[in-house]
Amino acid sequence: GKAGTVTALCARRYAVEDVPFSVPAASETTDLSHLINKLLAAGNADHKYVEFDFLINGQFLRMPLVTHMEMENISTEEVVEIEYVEKYMAPQPEECIFHDDWISSVQASEEWILTGCYDQTARIWSLEGKSIMTIAGHTEVVKDAVWVKQDSLSCLLLSASMDQTVVLWEWNVEKNKVKALHCCRGHAGSVDSIAVDSTRTKFCSGSWDKMLKIWSAVPTDEEDELEEAANRPRKKQKTEQFGLTRTPLATLSGHTEAVSSVLWTDAEEICSGSWDHTIKLWDAETGDLKSTLTGNKVFNSVSYSPLCRRLASGSTDRHIRLWDPRSKDGSLVLLSLTSHTGWVTSVKWSPTHEHQLISGSLDNIVKLWDTRSCKAPLYDLAAHEDKVLCVDWTEAGLLLSGGADNKLYCYRYPATASDVGA
Amino acid sequence: LQDIRNTVGNIPMEWYQDFPHIGYDLDGKKIYKPIRNKDELDMFLEKMENPDYWRTVQDKMTGADIKLTDEQVDLVHRLQRGQFGDVHFNPYEPAVDFFTHEVMIHPVTNRPADKRSFIPSLIEKEKVSKLVHAIKMGWIKPRKPKDASPSYYDLWAHEDPNSILGRHKMHVPAPKMKLPGHEESYNPPPEYLLSEEEKLAWEQQEVSERKLNFVPQQFRSLRQVPAYPRFIHERFERCLDLYLCPRQRKMRVNVNPEDLIPKLPKPRDLQPFPTTQALIYRGHSSLVRCLSISPSGQWLVSGSDDGTVRFWEVCTARCMKTLPVGGVVKSIAWNPNPTICLVAICVEQSVLLVNPCLGDKLLYGATDQLLESYVPPEEERVQPVRWVPASAEEHSRGIRLCIQHSKAVKQVTWHGKGDYLASVVSDSSSMQVLIHQSSKRWSQSPFRKSKGLVQVVLFHPTRPYFFVATQRYVRVYNLLKQELTKKLMTNCKWVSSMAIHPGGDNIICGSYDSKLAWFDLDLSTRPYQLLRHHKRALRSVAFHRRYPLFASGSDDGSVIVCHGMVYNDLLQNPLLVPVKVLKGHAITLDLGVLDVLFHPTQPWVFSSGADGTVRLYT
Repeated sequence: GKAGTVTALCARRYAVEDVPFSVPAASETTDLSHLINKLLAAGNADHKYVEFDFLINGQFLRMPLVTHMEMENISTEEVVEIEYVEKYMAPQPEECIFHDDWISSVQASEEWILTGCYDQTARIWSLEGKSIMTIAGHTEVVKDAVWVKQDSLSCLLLSASMDQTVVLWEWNVEKNKVKALHCCRGHAGSVDSIAVDSTRTKFCSGSWDKMLKIWSAVPTDEEDELEEAANRPRKKQKTEQFGLTRTPLATLSGHTEAVSSVLWTDAEEICSGSWDHTIKLWDAETGDLKSTLTGNKVFNSVSYSPLCRRLASGSTDRHIRLWDPRSKDGSLVLLSLTSHTGWVTSVKWSPTHEHQLISGSLDNIVKLWDTRSCKAPLYDLAAHEDKVLCVDWTEAGLLLSGGADNKLYCYRYPATASDVGA
Repeated sequence: LQDIRNTVGNIPMEWYQDFPHIGYDLDGKKIYKPIRNKDELDMFLEKMENPDYWRTVQDKMTGADIKLTDEQVDLVHRLQRGQFGDVHFNPYEPAVDFFTHEVMIHPVTNRPADKRSFIPSLIEKEKVSKLVHAIKMGWIKPRKPKDASPSYYDLWAHEDPNSILGRHKMHVPAPKMKLPGHEESYNPPPEYLLSEEEKLAWEQQEVSERKLNFVPQQFRSLRQVPAYPRFIHERFERCLDLYLCPRQRKMRVNVNPEDLIPKLPKPRDLQPFPTTQALIYRGHSSLVRCLSISPSGQWLVSGSDDGTVRFWEVCTARCMKTLPVGGVVKSIAWNPNPTICLVAICVEQSVLLVNPCLGDKLLYGATDQLLESYVPPEEERVQPVRWVPASAEEHSRGIRLCIQHSKAVKQVTWHGKGDYLASVVSDSSSMQVLIHQSSKRWSQSPFRKSKGLVQVVLFHPTRPYFFVATQRYVRVYNLLKQELTKKLMTNCKWVSSMAIHPGGDNIICGSYDSKLAWFDLDLSTRPYQLLRHHKRALRSVAFHRRYPLFASGSDDGSVIVCHGMVYNDLLQNPLLVPVKVLKGHAITLDLGVLDVLFHPTQPWVFSSGADGTVRLYT
């Protein structure tokens, strides 16, 4: 039968008259798209064909209209408002950067890509995929690498490693020289995750020793004294160390298992995901535990979007879960995004779009999600031949993913601003 | 005559027999008995001589003798004769009927009737008004009409139904005889008539096997039907049937077969437990015989037939290190003490102690220091094995010590504190089991006699007990007292593996005849439960350290995870529920899963297989 009515709500460019239409119940997005295009062509002679995507009550239409309405319990007898947005373009593959070993982390800026690698180095690449710098010095696998500060002359960056240290490097761009400024020592386990705060003066690290430590990210000429009595083999290592030793400003303890992921939600709040099935929010100033979100799986990765104020978590199951970090009762999952078939190793919110995020999984697939479509992702990026270990999304609209197949894939995804209501 | 009146009243006068007086007069003075001093002789003489003796009576009240007068004697005689005492009374005078029953013309009295006899009575009126008031107020209820229907006594109301009478009531009718069909007809349709072959076959059949006990016959008319020769015989058989076959009502108990199965909780309610394969650790080129995990759960170590030991990062399946040891690795054990970083590896005839140099630098440095701090004793002691420090080249690979046995070593296990380790040698002598102390580099053989081929040994997690599994039995030794504490019968043909619950009171044994026996040491020396879930030989069993889970790996390529809840309450038996069958390993050379191992903190299980992979299920 006939069902529903399209009431147009779209970008100004593609506005149609607000008149109810009767639509066949079996129609899919392509049929609806044709309909809208016809209307637009009728109104505007030089209209070009545009693909649209459709939302009913904030849910993407991914199946025939009638099936969707049955699933959502919407009566076909009433007038239904269907929003439509211009269909998101598929991410365009750009570069494939080959590494010598597994890629454990990736972070890109406007000009350069920083990757951490299992061959004990961190690497800097240009956006075109040219190797610019290899930062060697760690004695173990580099688990995470992040930018601290970038300007035209010199950049500061951090690398965390399984050798229990975080090293603050200064990279002179002109001379293309890298120098270890500080070696941050204090963790008693592999440092798995680091995050720099918004002021770029502090950073936090999470480690296998269950601790979170806050360090200063400002380079100085002084060396912090190690308080513990150094025994002989340590002394030997010390002579080999790069840079000046630095000790933590504060230690946050509370997790009962390894900390796998850490981030700053704002200037004073740290969020950490752990193997003890909890996400904890900490006050960075006082070091107090503010709240705990309890899940029932190990958390591999958490990401926070200031646009929608939601936490996304990837755990050792197939689901990406969205949390509200402000909720006081804690352990309430707002939404699960399910389509992966392996552990979700990495999640990253879009820096520009409040609904979109990207996830990498052990099933070798990177998925681009819109939270309004929680059963099916917008796009599957199935280029990796082995486990995906890290993903990143830059403000310029670059999607990056690295994995156990030693390849870093870059995709260009048109930077879309939040669009609904336009 | 003096008037003496005795006042004692009507009492037996014998009461005064022993007193001088016989009562009291009106003034309360004693009445004395008359003085009697006559003896028997005087009495007799008086009786003989006194002519008035017969009319003399004694007055009991006064005790005095009274001589009766003639009138008195006459009265006595009259009374004795039944005549009136008065001489002048005539009992036979004619009677005059003053008030007859007949109504006379004249009334006896002529008094007019009283006024009250024709005025309504005020008292009655008062009483009636009281009654009326009481009826109005409902104090007096009108009498119920009597139930006119007759009531009878039920004679059989309380009768026992099981008595003989009851049995009569539960009468079971005799089975009805089959009604005659077409074949009994005098003129049956032709298809009911037997052909010659059928008739022959019928004759050759046993009487009891015949379908029909007669041959259908055809007659032209009913008149020609002869007498049925077996009539009496069949009636008699029927009577025998009725009389000899006891008929009884079958008491059928309706039992739902599902009620007989013990109630087990649904696996869904017993989460968490591993359900899906998450990671595959690839790298070994031959079967992976053994697995062990670091106490923190960050590193996994596996030993393989390809002569290498590989160290893996658990969460990414990254092979961090490969250590060639030059021989088949039969068993591997990571030191359970979190402050020591040491792995014991069984390679052919030796046990290698390897520092994997993974994890906290401080820890593995301290482990090396601990091993280097060994000071050899002044006098050499005789030991069943040789402790050989590693060469410089071996040291650089991580090998620290080598315990060289005389025969091939097949199993090694650590004590919970991480100083002692036990090894099992393939041998049939008493030197099969050896206990080594790593810090003192000292080994000893704890048993004097061999009790059979030792398969597995284990240390109790907390108490000084030592478990030795031979082919059919598990013996529990107390290491402090040096005595046998218990001997567990496994009911299996050949034990392959054994694991102990972290609480220490429960043991599971896997066997090559595909059984898994759970022992509750407090309960019995026989298995509390024998689980036969696997189709082929069990190779390995494991307990989880924190979650109530245990797993078994088998040659059929599957790992079965069971929920095994042990209660602190001694009265509650453990609850065992199989929750998941995990498949993934390809069966190679007829071997499937060779080892299973739980993650120390997460509900994850690792399995190593003959296909050269290690798999993680979460």
